[in-house]
Amino acid sequence: MARVEYENVSKRFPTQDRAAIDDFTLDVADGELLVLLGPSGCGKTTALRMLAGLEHPDSGDIRIDGKSVVGLEPKDRDVALVFQSYALYPHMSAKDNIRYPLRVKHMNEAERERRVGQVAEMLSLTALLERRPARLSGGEQQRVALARAIVRQPRVFLMDEPLSNLDAKLRTHTRTELKALQRQLGTTTVFVTHDQAEAMTLADRIAVMDRGRLLQLGTPDDLYLRPVNLFVAQFIGSPPMNILAAEVRDGALLAEGTWRLPLPRGIAAKSVSVGIRPEGIELDESSTDAQVGEVLVSEPLGSETIVDVKVGGALVKVRAAPQVRPDPGTRVHLRVDPSAIRLFDTASGSAIA
Amino acid sequence: MTPRAETTVARTVAAPRGASWLETIAVHAVFALVVVFFLAPFVWLFTAAFDGRAQAYIRLPEQPTVDNFARIFTEHDFARALGNSVLVAGATMLLDVVAVSLAGYSLSRLDLRFKSWITYAVLLLQTMPLSATMVPIYGLAQALGLRNSYLGLILIHAAIELPFLIWLMKGFFDGVPRYLEEAAWLDGRSKLRALIEIVLPVARNGIGVVAGLSFLAAWSEVLMMIILIDKQDLKTVPLAFYEVLRTRGGYTEVQYGLIAAMGVLYAVPVMAIFFATRRMMVRGLIATSRGL
Repeated sequence: MARVEYENVSKRFPTQDRAAIDDFTLDVADGELLVLLGPSGCGKTTALRMLAGLEHPDSGDIRIDGKSVVGLEPKDRDVALVFQSYALYPHMSAKDNIRYPLRVKHMNEAERERRVGQVAEMLSLTALLERRPARLSGGEQQRVALARAIVRQPRVFLMDEPLSNLDAKLRTHTRTELKALQRQLGTTTVFVTHDQAEAMTLADRIAVMDRGRLLQLGTPDDLYLRPVNLFVAQFIGSPPMNILAAEVRDGALLAEGTWRLPLPRGIAAKSVSVGIRPEGIELDESSTDAQVGEVLVSEPLGSETIVDVKVGGALVKVRAAPQVRPDPGTRVHLRVDPSAIRLFDTASGSAIA
Repeated sequence: MTPRAETTVARTVAAPRGASWLETIAVHAVFALVVVFFLAPFVWLFTAAFDGRAQAYIRLPEQPTVDNFARIFTEHDFARALGNSVLVAGATMLLDVVAVSLAGYSLSRLDLRFKSWITYAVLLLQTMPLSATMVPIYGLAQALGLRNSYLGLILIHAAIELPFLIWLMKGFFDGVPRYLEEAAWLDGRSKLRALIEIVLPVARNGIGVVAGLSFLAAWSEVLMMIILIDKQDLKTVPLAFYEVLRTRGGYTEVQYGLIAAMGVLYAVPVMAIFFATRRMMVRGLIATSRGL
């Protein structure tokens, strides 16, 4: 149980010209599951490793439960890290792997056995305890790695892309289990991933990072509905938000030169980027006043169909009902929900409405 | 290589397609010659050791006898020489394993200034021929009172092989993923304990190779033993050879049977060690040649 704070943390690796972490400030509440999300090289793993004590910040402070951990050895921080590669000790059985962190604590044999048994039970590992990691499947190895982290009852769980080596089906399944487990244990968790869907399903809050900076911190809904800039808008959501170049002319918004869109109030800028989520656009075959486009391709996904429509020079993705499958070349009308429109400053990328 | 591929290669080498039978015979003859050349010394060793009248050439003993073996133990105190050799080589091996583990790990993992310089300097040391530094080593041993002492012999033997073994072990450590020791640190271990409990066991093939090579080098080294040891009761196996050559009738009347008997007992233990650990050695050496 712990609260984690990063305060103005910066870190630069000697071999790189850009800071790996740049003035990073973040507060993780007690019991929260916070996801650090961003593309590779954005600094999310470095941020995590600094909390673990495997990297050291050049400046700034990192605190757990109000106490600075900067300068503390990893062993003295009481945090557990689940590695992307699991980092199971190959020369030890699953049981010895799980028991390893307990051996250092002066805990009596019976208590150790009880804890290992309990965690093995929780993660359905009881039958596999005598096996070496090489004789376990990827999913089983992953569970042993989780068990090794859980058995210690650390103050904070750190997870560095723990699901990315699993196949798609197992990944979704484990994601659900992991979330339930975290709720049950109530341990503060910092989870690193580049997969926005994983972040959206797991997180209490998501911190989106790019080039060493924290871009936006918020609940999955915040990020999806109110992205603070173009980067977040395009990073979150699948398919991502449609971004169109637009001009403000005569009190109206003109996207791609011809597409008239309702203009939110109080916009002074001349040229902007318009962001519309795929579900913010409706296909309408009868209407006459809506924008006309040409269907490029329909992608039926079972529960929905993603229709790619060409409007002027732009390609727009529209989320439609599963039975809607317009043929390529079909002319369709696009109707935009005014509340779904987001505007961004084209130069800076920041949201303006 | 699959067994099938292996046989194909063997066939191609032994009898290239389209080759005449004459060529085939020529190829086999060359192979046979090479094999004979390499095996002859061993044949001599094992025939002469059991021959009461052994000569410098290969001959079958008229009456096989273990007399030579009895004589090296009674007349030359060979048991002591063997014991001393085991002691010196064993201690050298232990010292090397400890030193190489720490040094190799440091060069593999630590962020040292001038690390690549240090690493290459270590390798440069290995290129120094031992005979070139023989005189200063002797002087140093004399000054430190390390002549006629096992400690001196062990320290020098350990040091001779150290640069190469450090380089070798660094390669094995480079092959151990960093996240394993990081996991151990986070599990509450100090860096030293993580090295001992996690990194060394994972790199055990490397430790095996280092231990084997270190033992072999110290076991068969002669020059330092000759210049540092001149006390009877400190003599090792190479010095026992020397003693047989020197004392029994001078250099003209060499007792080949005794030399061969000593040779057998000198060679057999290391061959036994090699066979016992060959899997580990081969695996380890393959791993290094791949750069792991």
